[in-house]
Amino acid sequence: MTVKLSVAARAVPSLGLRAGVSVASLLAAGAVGGAVLVVAGNDPLEAYRTMIDASVNGWRPLTRTLTLATPLILTGLAAAVAFRMRIWNIGAEGQLYMGAVAASGLAVALPAGAPKPLMLLVVLLAGMAAGAVWAGLAAVPKACFNTDEVITTLMLNFVALSFMNYLIFGSVSFWRDPAATFPEGKPIPASAELPVISHRLHYGIAVAAAAAVFLWWALRRTSWGFELRAIGDSRPAARYAGIRVRTKVLSVLALSGGLAGLAGAIEISGVIKSLEPRAVATELGFTGIVVAAVARLNPLAVLPVAAFLAAVVTSGSRLQRIGIESEIVFLLQGLIFLFVAAGDFFLANKVTLARRADQSQAPVLAEAGRGSPSGE
Amino acid sequence: MGEDAAPGPALAGENPAAGPAGAGTDAAAVLRVRGLTKSFYGVPAIDRVDFDLFEGEVHGLLGENGAGKSTLCSVLAGLYRPDSGRVVLDGEAVRLRSPHDAADRGIGMVYQHFRLVPSLTVAENMILGLPGQGVRLVLRSVEARVSEIAEEYGLEVRSDAYVWELSVGEQQRVEILRQLFRGARILILDEPTAVLAPQQCETLFAVVRRMAAQGHSVVLVSHKLEEVTANTDRVTVLRRGRNAGTVPTSETSADELVAMMIGGEDLPEPGRLAPGRGDGAEPVLTVSSLRVAGDRGAAAVDGASLEVLAGQIVGVAGVAGNGQRELQEAIAGLRPAIGGSIRIGGRDVTARGPRARSRAGLSYVPEDRLGTGLARGMTLEENLVLKSYNEAPHSRFGVMSQRAVTVTARRLVERFDVRGARAGMPVSLMSGGNLQKAILARELTRPHAVLVAAQPTRGLDLAAAAAVRSHIISEADKGGGVLLFSEDLAEITELSQLVLVMSRGRIVGSYTPETLDLEEMGLLMAGAEARAR
Repeated sequence: MTVKLSVAARAVPSLGLRAGVSVASLLAAGAVGGAVLVVAGNDPLEAYRTMIDASVNGWRPLTRTLTLATPLILTGLAAAVAFRMRIWNIGAEGQLYMGAVAASGLAVALPAGAPKPLMLLVVLLAGMAAGAVWAGLAAVPKACFNTDEVITTLMLNFVALSFMNYLIFGSVSFWRDPAATFPEGKPIPASAELPVISHRLHYGIAVAAAAAVFLWWALRRTSWGFELRAIGDSRPAARYAGIRVRTKVLSVLALSGGLAGLAGAIEISGVIKSLEPRAVATELGFTGIVVAAVARLNPLAVLPVAAFLAAVVTSGSRLQRIGIESEIVFLLQGLIFLFVAAGDFFLANKVTLARRADQSQAPVLAEAGRGSPSGE
Repeated sequence: MGEDAAPGPALAGENPAAGPAGAGTDAAAVLRVRGLTKSFYGVPAIDRVDFDLFEGEVHGLLGENGAGKSTLCSVLAGLYRPDSGRVVLDGEAVRLRSPHDAADRGIGMVYQHFRLVPSLTVAENMILGLPGQGVRLVLRSVEARVSEIAEEYGLEVRSDAYVWELSVGEQQRVEILRQLFRGARILILDEPTAVLAPQQCETLFAVVRRMAAQGHSVVLVSHKLEEVTANTDRVTVLRRGRNAGTVPTSETSADELVAMMIGGEDLPEPGRLAPGRGDGAEPVLTVSSLRVAGDRGAAAVDGASLEVLAGQIVGVAGVAGNGQRELQEAIAGLRPAIGGSIRIGGRDVTARGPRARSRAGLSYVPEDRLGTGLARGMTLEENLVLKSYNEAPHSRFGVMSQRAVTVTARRLVERFDVRGARAGMPVSLMSGGNLQKAILARELTRPHAVLVAAQPTRGLDLAAAAAVRSHIISEADKGGGVLLFSEDLAEITELSQLVLVMSRGRIVGSYTPETLDLEEMGLLMAGAEARAR
């Protein structure tokens, strides 16, 4: 008897299966991460307990996690919406910086006494616009000359980072606070701050969640989403159907950048409250790519995935207190990414183990035996 | 064990069929094929084919598309295993288990699409995949050997050049070099001139003749007549999977080969063309002096003009690669015209995009069903509204109605008998016949004046093909115009009231039922200049 592994394409993966595979991927990542902890001489159970305590066990840790989840939801959506169309926007990081620069600049420039709703609207829209324009720098050559957006968006990240650093560290710009001893940004007025829900958690989470639900609906239920999915599925078919692919590339990359820019504006308005480059440049954009991938580019799934990854990151600093390097968090992120990618295989294919009867094996043996001197 | 293809006793007693007249009587058959059959999904691609290849000969393999040339070659190259029949190499019956196995026995094939790694050098490509390479690559001896072979056969190419630096013609030389490097005595060249410019063809044939002179046997697959008559010793014609005859090139003529290729007996008589409808009818599609660039820059459509009247089926016959695909794409707005004009339903749409042409009344069934005609990963429902997703009732103010889409999809599925779909399933998992029915369902239920259908029955089973043909006929009955592209001559003559022949990007012949001349058509398709009538 032999056991045969057979792999067949699966037509329609059910919702339960999709959720199951996602959870199994996370558990597998946790198991391998645990093994690494053991090798490093730590107690994995203690480590995981600490992580849970630090991130979700109690209202205060939970608000911390959700505060971090807010920008991750938006950068996750930014990546998801572009990736759905097979436009590889790797530039959410830089688009977020530019959103932060624009939002903080306008918050400081506008009269501090302006009504709060108006102030917030202007600040957030400015962040979106700046992110969209920054993505547009990559989108226009992509649409016109089919340049590789992976390279252009990636490189623009470094430009944006240098620009932001220059505004605070390299010059006495409008953004820099002349009163401060060390280089830092001017604090934004109270009217530009997002209202707080509890502790540090602010209403940006509502904006991010609404964006996720809206995008989910738009992708499934609007002709805009239909076009986006058709282009992502098959560009020749989309062209054949009369969809204007070029315009769509421009608009979707701009939307993607806008979402990342919004994340930057919300970080300024809700958390950082001045242009503080070191607080802005925390890889929120890059982590968004992980969020989108783990969520399988589904905007609704971005919500729990962003929260989960935020919890993992939030608990990183607490781990150091029990003697575990915080790098373990990056390791876990990497493992999650890896196992989710592997899990996709099980969604696309049905893998079964079947026992084979003896007789079906006979010809194989016979054929193999023919060449040998002993024969049969 | 599959006994059909088992090695039997060598064909000691058999006469070499079709005597070795052309290549000299002392020529020995290095390769004999007897009764070779290979089916795909129950349809034989080659059917009991006999074939002999002599030492030192250039053997042309002629046939229309789908005649079985590629299948025969793929069996000889070890890519497919035959269902039955024997392959005898040097008097010994062999089973070719893989391309590697075939290469070990001295059979090498040069495919139309090269199998080279662009980022490696010529020499590196030579040894790629060969066993016996140590951990350290010693390329110097390889390079020396390559240069030696290159010089011997006149295959000029620098062995330390990277493949990506080379032109198409040079890459082809590298492919041939690779086969020689690996010790091939039998070379199969699959339509080698399809990718070459005319001057490059001359160089290629010089190499081929030199190889033959050195004792190699070359199988030259082609559907270009002149090329075969000018460069081979013998010719075998395949027709519908059967060997229609093997003749010495010096004792045959282009006319005779055409007759063998298209085989008069199983084609409809000229009188079977339906009588001309649409006399005095309005033109629904007018193409005037159209010029369109191909993928490689040169004009693939070079001054083509045609007109389709309401209620008329116009068939375009021609060998693949003569600009048909580019013409279709230009009509559909997927490829820009560099000259000339296109009018659909009386409106000039030359500068308009695909959607405007669709609105002007164009329905289009593309050659590439999955990937162009259908978005492969989307569901059948979504594909059925691929052109009307943004119109009422499917969509209002940009918001789509799933219910309206489902209603439309159900109606089309029922009317066109599309089977095999499940909710949420990507269309790519459906069968070819159902995919084509789905495309027709979408294209024929939109308001349209003209249908452009490219290879609408290719690869379909008989029932599905018949259904597709009846849809095309009823189109014309309802007063729509049809422009039908097909490599199946029988299909074209059966359906069309006007048959055009396309060759080298032009319409070179036009036949009504009264003037239909299959022999002349075949010659035109094969690249001959139009005879003066």
